[in-house]
Amino acid sequence: MKDTYITGGAMTPFGRHAGVLAPELAQQAILRAMDDAGVQPRDIQAIYCANVLGGMILGQVIVRDLGFGGIPVYNVENACASGATGVHLARHAMLAEQYDTVLVFGIEQLTQLGGGTIPLQRNDHKTELYAKAGMVLPAVYAMRGTRFLHERDATPADLAAVAVKNRYHGTLNEYAQQRTEVTIEEVLGSRMIADPLTLLQCCPSQVDGAAAVVLSTRRPAGKAVKVLASIVQSGVREQADDDILDAEITARAARLAYEQAGLSPKDVDVVELHDAFTIAELLYYEALGLADHGDAVPLLRSGATRIGGRVPVNPSGGLLAKGHPLGATGVAQMVEIMWQLQGRAGQRQVEGAKVGLTQCTGGGIAGVDHAASSVHLLGV
Amino acid sequence: MSVTSQSLWSSGPEPALLASRDRSSGEIVFPPVPDASPLATRHELIPIAPDGVVYSYSVIHPNPKSGQQPYALGYVDLRGPVRIFGRIEGRPKIGARCRARPDASFGYVFELTAQGAQA
Repeated sequence: MKDTYITGGAMTPFGRHAGVLAPELAQQAILRAMDDAGVQPRDIQAIYCANVLGGMILGQVIVRDLGFGGIPVYNVENACASGATGVHLARHAMLAEQYDTVLVFGIEQLTQLGGGTIPLQRNDHKTELYAKAGMVLPAVYAMRGTRFLHERDATPADLAAVAVKNRYHGTLNEYAQQRTEVTIEEVLGSRMIADPLTLLQCCPSQVDGAAAVVLSTRRPAGKAVKVLASIVQSGVREQADDDILDAEITARAARLAYEQAGLSPKDVDVVELHDAFTIAELLYYEALGLADHGDAVPLLRSGATRIGGRVPVNPSGGLLAKGHPLGATGVAQMVEIMWQLQGRAGQRQVEGAKVGLTQCTGGGIAGVDHAASSVHLLGV
Repeated sequence: MSVTSQSLWSSGPEPALLASRDRSSGEIVFPPVPDASPLATRHELIPIAPDGVVYSYSVIHPNPKSGQQPYALGYVDLRGPVRIFGRIEGRPKIGARCRARPDASFGYVFELTAQGAQA
């Protein structure tokens, strides 16, 4: 099986890009990623555009003026896992020897939607019924938070500590939307959204951004970032006795990723995971095998997941501080890990990182843990 | 599509929530599989007792600008066995007992029973 590499990557700052249309935003990331990879349009054989809410054939709209000469453009949607799914599909095509060099980018412009919670996709009976009663993603995570505080030796301050950590990391990242350090008291004292989650425990909803990577089977010169594993899984219909703390779809995706790479969680040096809400990061510590069952809070309290710790999690600031422009998130996570593995992460550099993990989930329907979850392992 | 286009309750003096049971696996799904679904013939419609226990919950605090008051919602485990999401009236706790009753807006809501309210 051929190896695949991330040969270049870039992202726009995540934030409010008022008055900027999708082509101008995404092209910033695309052109910088191609420059980073040292490729020209003629070197690219296919393009994958990840987006959730931007409308039909967005990829073709974005690349029309870039001179790619009519190569295939695939538009990929898998909710918040769209970007990671785009990379996953691109890698499949390269493993099947259809292409040797492709471009994958993700983009989202949430400020155009007017803010607030992203609604569920109400096109089935169960989701329609539950959404009408108030099911939205903050509520789903809040119920996980309530159960977590009930079952575990944990307090609301432990949830808040995730936001404190990631927002501190965000202060070190010029691409992050929110770059203000916060205290436990400020997090707990911010407006209650969905008990036990306060405003500063939720990723910002007013954000735009784009990220792009060039993938190739041609090994680049220098510190080549290899894709060691690429997994996408879908949610299994929920059962009456599900444990909502086990993040089953992500645990399953992680297990498959470690198997594919021939690695164990102990081999991972740096992680970018889907901290859309604080509780999610704690659940994913266990689902990704960074902590044993029941040990998420002790891991956080130990400082192991801060920059400088044993396995820093979300050095970019994560979704909580960097922002979460849905389709861009999965690609941006890989750009961050590429920078980390190549020693290009500036103030937030994780020293000596050799293996990095990215994880993102796509929600938005009732009756499953999540609709999609993707785990990638990258290494130098 | 309207949620009320599909009946969630049995008729009779003591209405029960309706669910579908897979004829081969016995698994219960809620809400019932729609009549138009090609899966409908694999399922049978069954009543489920409306009494349950709160598995988890949240109190949602809408933006103050909306003028909406906070409201509770959660997952409730019924004897089906089936776990159902919905609005919960009152201040829930995990393990509190509650009972579903018909509701014009949501199809059903859970109300804490005397025992649940004390839990």
